[in-house]
Amino acid sequence: MNLNGHILSSIPFLPPCYLLVNILLDYSPLQVVTSWVQSFVQRHVQVGNDSIDLSSFQTLHDDGTVLVGPQLLAYVIVALFGYWATDYLIPAIKAYTLKRGISGKDLGKRGTALAEKDVPEALGIVPGAIFLICLILCLVGYSTSHPTKLLDLNSALLSVCFMLFLGFTDDVLDWPWRYKLVLPTVASLPLLCCYSGSTSIVVPIQMRSWLMQQGNLTILGKMSCYFIVVDENADGAIVNLGLWYLLYMGMLAVFCTNAINIYAGINGLEAGQAYVIACAVLFHNLLEIQADSQSKENHLFSAMIMLSFLGVTLALLKHNWYPASVFVGDTFCYFAGMTFAVVGILGHFSKTLLLFFIPQVLNFIYSTPQLFKIVPCPRHRLPRFNAKTGLMEPSTFVCKPDQYRWLKKRRDDTQVANMTVINLTLQLFGPMSERSLCIVLLGGQIIFCTFGLFVRYYISLFFFDN
Amino acid sequence: GGYVATDRLIPIIKMYTLRKGISGKDLGKRGTEFSSRDVPEALGVVPGSIFLICLTFCLVGYATSHPTKLLDCNSALLSICFMLFLGFTDDVLDWPWRYKLFLPTIASLPLLCCYEGSTSIVIPIQLRSTLMKDGLLTPLSKLLCYFVVVDANADGAIVNLGIWYLLYMSMLAVFCTNAINIYAGINGLEAGQSYVIGCAVLLHNLIEIQSDSQSKENHLFSVMIVLSFVGVTLALLKHNWYPASVFVGDTYCYFAGMVFAVVGILGHFSKTLLLFFIPQVINFIWSIPQLFKLVPCPRHRLPKFNAKTGLMEPSTFECKPHEYRWLKFLSNGNKNGTEVANMTVINLFLQIFGPMSEGNLCTALLVGQILCCSLGLFFRYNLAQVFFDE
Repeated sequence: MNLNGHILSSIPFLPPCYLLVNILLDYSPLQVVTSWVQSFVQRHVQVGNDSIDLSSFQTLHDDGTVLVGPQLLAYVIVALFGYWATDYLIPAIKAYTLKRGISGKDLGKRGTALAEKDVPEALGIVPGAIFLICLILCLVGYSTSHPTKLLDLNSALLSVCFMLFLGFTDDVLDWPWRYKLVLPTVASLPLLCCYSGSTSIVVPIQMRSWLMQQGNLTILGKMSCYFIVVDENADGAIVNLGLWYLLYMGMLAVFCTNAINIYAGINGLEAGQAYVIACAVLFHNLLEIQADSQSKENHLFSAMIMLSFLGVTLALLKHNWYPASVFVGDTFCYFAGMTFAVVGILGHFSKTLLLFFIPQVLNFIYSTPQLFKIVPCPRHRLPRFNAKTGLMEPSTFVCKPDQYRWLKKRRDDTQVANMTVINLTLQLFGPMSERSLCIVLLGGQIIFCTFGLFVRYYISLFFFDN
Repeated sequence: GGYVATDRLIPIIKMYTLRKGISGKDLGKRGTEFSSRDVPEALGVVPGSIFLICLTFCLVGYATSHPTKLLDCNSALLSICFMLFLGFTDDVLDWPWRYKLFLPTIASLPLLCCYEGSTSIVIPIQLRSTLMKDGLLTPLSKLLCYFVVVDANADGAIVNLGIWYLLYMSMLAVFCTNAINIYAGINGLEAGQSYVIGCAVLLHNLIEIQSDSQSKENHLFSVMIVLSFVGVTLALLKHNWYPASVFVGDTYCYFAGMVFAVVGILGHFSKTLLLFFIPQVINFIWSIPQLFKLVPCPRHRLPKFNAKTGLMEPSTFECKPHEYRWLKFLSNGNKNGTEVANMTVINLFLQIFGPMSEGNLCTALLVGQILCCSLGLFFRYNLAQVFFDE
């Protein structure tokens, strides 16, 4: 990636970076690291020596809870390691996938010399494995300071690991679509089984009067009681969904993974969108941590996971950016989707997460006619490459002149553009090169994420009162 | 439940692996019409995934009754899942040997990080006097104090290994996985040996539970894991037995090895576990010259198939008439032969008992495994009192 690329990739990272430095600058990083090395040496080399001298640096509050700054610094260091390790391993491992035929042709380059080159695929396993190792390292440090949350972290890692494994089997064995939908549900089972948090949701103010009026359940409220529990004390504000919440969690995992999977096809899009969303999530987490809100614990937990994820994804993006030398494969889409679902669920901000996923949601809604075969759906719907102009154009499917007039610009065309947001962008803005297209789409992602943050912090006050 | 699910899924999924070329030729059938048939490989993913799903369900029930052990269970599952994943990447991408040794260490990291049990070992009675005499540390133990902590109060009986115990744990994982991996090559052997060892472990666990010993909790935990493991392995064995319709792949060896390492570590009976692994240990020791290239080591060391007689014979490697005479004593006493049998227990068996069919060979080897496991149990319960006092 040239200098231009470096500048571009750092744009989404700037807001969380600013907050990160803000939190960390309260303490000198060098001091923190020396004190860790000291305590580690004392604890393990001189076995049996019970006194640990931490007086050189204070890592605890007066009430005994661990300070946030040093922890975040630790996670940043682990994330940096993750970036470096992934960056180093991807070129090494792509040779293996190429050798075994886990590769594909770059369909976005038909007609040029690159079209015949086999590009190694399924390189999503590399960031995935490094991510798991990073988080295991974080686990060691986390276990000493947050003993209650350790189970959550373990079940989260188990879900992500299981998903990574099933995703890789999909890349290798190529399951049909009906299995692809079941895989994330299966992989999210550990998360669901160990979930010990609240299964209640807060009802928006406007809808509360539907459930309760003047201290009595309305007819709708009484009907709902057959399925869920309406909390009468809170005047219709809280509804305990019980098992339906777990179902929602499972569906969230399925949605996140497949939404990223179908919003794909051009170099750098899958890794790029995951990177932008991760930066947005991290920013949200850091905002909450800095504001010292009551859910600070959850957000710190989520920040830990997101930092490592950012590190490995950035390294993958470096190799996957146009012109791509590796493909991420379905493995990465599953991995990223599951990671987001896990942090959304365990950090208890799944509604905010869905706000960040707006482009993916739009793409899914727009693709619905083709996905449900109401309209013909070809095998690949990524944009077509025009070798003469060197630009991407919308890909199409063939139809008769009188069909699907509601989709066509000119009423008697025999071709209709495939219904994805990528093609829609090309239709609106005209043909452009693959690289520019990716930048435009990611720019759209950034705008939507910013919009999502805006909705979360300002407009939500209309609907919820806290 | 696990057995039924695995049994039904294996035929379905073998179609997929066959289609994508994750398959191998059955080298034990060269010369027959079977030899050119592609047999689907890496079917270890099926029992592995079903096993994880079964244990996730067990986890739900376990969570309510044993809240303290839940973390152990989760980190165990994470290690097994990670190993299954890395094992499958090995089957697909075919890592070189130096990576293969490294994979189980990485996969055992979650287990090591979350391990909060005792890191002390009990010293056999005979060795205790080498560490302490009359309440004072001997020179040997003073030397050891640089690395470990000798518990002065227990009169040399307990030594706290600290971080070396964690190293031992990860080495156990590496050993179990690769030991099963090299004691392989004929239909049904990998799945079969795991099945036998699994049953032995289960028996040991149940004996301990019944006798209401102080480590009952740990053994109950181990029973939960091993029961599901035995279920899925039995279904796999049904399809992998001679003549095999599927191959288990390295995936299964890694999976089984990690499961055993996990139950041994978390159930705190790793010494007993190693007693059950005696045939694998013998095979490993006997294979050392070839593994460390002191003696030439061909790519495959499984027995050769003689198409005329329909029986298996020891496979060999080429050498000059005067080389390796110390190895040739077993093969019809011909000191000037140009072929030497490969050094695995499977070939050794064939040399001692003569050629036999693949099905019989596997049965014989598994009977040997059963005998060794029984011997191991005997040692554990009768001879252990000679060395340890409890």
